Amino acid sequence: MKRMRTLAGISILALVLAACSSGSTDTAAEDTAAALDDSNCAAAESFCVGLVTDIGKVDDKSFNQSAWEGAKAAAAEVGGFAKYIETTDTKDYAANMKQFTDKSYDVIVTVGFLMAEASVAAAKENPNTKFIGVDQFQGEEVANLTGLIFPEDQAGYAAGYLAGLLTKTNKLGSVLGLEIPPVQLFAKGFEAGATAANAGVKVTTVYHPPADNGFGDPVWGAAEAKKQLSQGADIIFGAGGGTGNGALIEIAKAEGAGTSIFCIGVDTDQWGTVPEAQPCLVTSAMKGLSEGTADLVKAVFDGSIKGGNFVGTTGLADYHDLASAVSADIQAKVAEIVAGLKDGSIKTGVTL
Amino acid sequence: MTLTDTKQENKLGFFVRNQTIVVPIAAIFVAFVLGGILILLQGVNPLVAYKAIFSEAWFDSDGLLRTFQKTTPLVLAGLAVTVGLRVGLFNIGAQGQLISAALASALAGIYITNLSPIFHVLVALTCGIIVGAIWAGIAGILKAYRGVHEVISTIMLNSIAIGILDYLVSNPFKEPDQSLQRTKKIAETAVLPNIGVIPFGFILALIICLLVSWMLNKTTAGFRFNTVGKNKFAATYAGINMKLMVVTGMLLSGGLAGLGGAIETLGITYRFEPAFNAGLGFDGITIALLARANPLATIPAAILVGTLRAGGASLQFETGIEPEIVDVLLAITLLLVSAPILAKYLFKGKAQKSANVTSGWGN
Repeated sequence: MKRMRTLAGISILALVLAACSSGSTDTAAEDTAAALDDSNCAAAESFCVGLVTDIGKVDDKSFNQSAWEGAKAAAAEVGGFAKYIETTDTKDYAANMKQFTDKSYDVIVTVGFLMAEASVAAAKENPNTKFIGVDQFQGEEVANLTGLIFPEDQAGYAAGYLAGLLTKTNKLGSVLGLEIPPVQLFAKGFEAGATAANAGVKVTTVYHPPADNGFGDPVWGAAEAKKQLSQGADIIFGAGGGTGNGALIEIAKAEGAGTSIFCIGVDTDQWGTVPEAQPCLVTSAMKGLSEGTADLVKAVFDGSIKGGNFVGTTGLADYHDLASAVSADIQAKVAEIVAGLKDGSIKTGVTL
Repeated sequence: MTLTDTKQENKLGFFVRNQTIVVPIAAIFVAFVLGGILILLQGVNPLVAYKAIFSEAWFDSDGLLRTFQKTTPLVLAGLAVTVGLRVGLFNIGAQGQLISAALASALAGIYITNLSPIFHVLVALTCGIIVGAIWAGIAGILKAYRGVHEVISTIMLNSIAIGILDYLVSNPFKEPDQSLQRTKKIAETAVLPNIGVIPFGFILALIICLLVSWMLNKTTAGFRFNTVGKNKFAATYAGINMKLMVVTGMLLSGGLAGLGGAIETLGITYRFEPAFNAGLGFDGITIALLARANPLATIPAAILVGTLRAGGASLQFETGIEPEIVDVLLAITLLLVSAPILAKYLFKGKAQKSANVTSGWGN
């Protein structure tokens, strides 16, 4: 009997491990199940939009979700059809894009810096399909591939400036996803903005170690946020998909959240997408992912799209309920900075 | 006893005697039925969904290649765990061994130059095998000489491997002028080619699988392994050097996992990047349990997992069902396979004898 118990224990352990190694098991996306009509994408009058996510889900409440919403909205606006595939293995980028090219989709949106190389290869292989690479800077121009890039350093700078004025402890933190250019720009902009506002401020920056869950590790994000809080940081910038969301939600639980402890979200206005973070969420460093993706998809539809890079917009989200915690004086100064960044009179000075 | 009773007895007897085959097949069948119900609940015809998976994975040349590519490391990771189980060791560190070996073979592929193609591949594969074996050997030595349980040490070695590899690919071996933490590409001479839709690594994995099966079932070393796994006290009494068996068992197990990582690097990814190879070692546990620690059975088990993973993309494209349904299918299968208590209840006392034969794992 003792042996049976050991065996049962090991079996359970194995199951737990097997479960650990695999992803989540959310229910199906109603968005795609509703309409399944891509049978004649090859026809001239039909307009089909495909989207391949980076590792991560289309409902990640930040990056992938924004791009998908933009693509979906643009397709709906021009009477087209949109569908997505969620990547579960980094080795499958090409195979996932091929699903769409096989069915002669008009445009394929590939989401994320990590897909940059795979997108270039696919674009060269399928010259008649347009590709939109979100967050993918194009060094060499490929005629049918447009990189949608953002001046993330500007959004980070504005958020950092706000944090620099708002901090009482003069210690700031940022909990980030993988150390890749879009994230680095946010982080370095944040540091530059904070220092510009308050020369005495110290920023602790931590990136997720390289792994396939760099943008989907809320547990790690929460642990790092907790560490930074215990070291005296009072405003923390959480930037990196689910990883950053984990940090925001952890900070929202801290004592003094919304009065002396604040957090700053990323990509979209996370007041709406991560309501659990509302107690501490003073603003979000936004990039116009949905608008940028939608603009480019529509540009493919009307034929005005060009290869190379397309620079999207960035900005700061509303203060929402925490507006009272930010004095009118600070609000005015931050607004000035945002305007200055927009018209080019203020430079972030960030280089990679 | 009436005639029908005897007949039923015989039928039941057949199932009990062939449990090792019947249970996994029944488990897969039940898992697909239960998975089918889940798919149906999402408003999709399960037959259409399964057809999407299998037509992509088997009846499309690109898909078939990917099925084999995904199957290859799974066969080897499954074998690694299987060999451990035979010696009574539960090596859940196959992941750590596999990724360290993946980096080792990548480095051998990049920094050793001026070798002829076949020789370069052999050198790079050997580097992977050695590093994988060393990584598992640490746990083997700790177990043999300090009594540290291998479940604890191997899983901790996984984390240590991740930390060290992160450092190595972020600093000394990072590809220059590249923002991703990854190594350079391996030299052309170190590439494991594909033969049509069949990757060379897959053939290698099949050969290794046969060799391991032969070793475990037909050689003295294999007999010693099995004896230690079934009853270590009897093995000691029979004069088998337990410590040696534990260490060699872990070395062999780690070497197999390492070979899996090396083939992955040389045949598919051509460089090391921490995001690659995610979860392969853990899938090895699934496969070893599905194969009930039978080395030859790891092949169909790995093909099943590889097929489901390769067909996942098409599944979402065709039906909108998320690819994670594949993990649900595997989890249900594993739950059923590794629940001998349930089987014991179903077969009552008749299964007692057979169950004992297969339950000598990990004591």
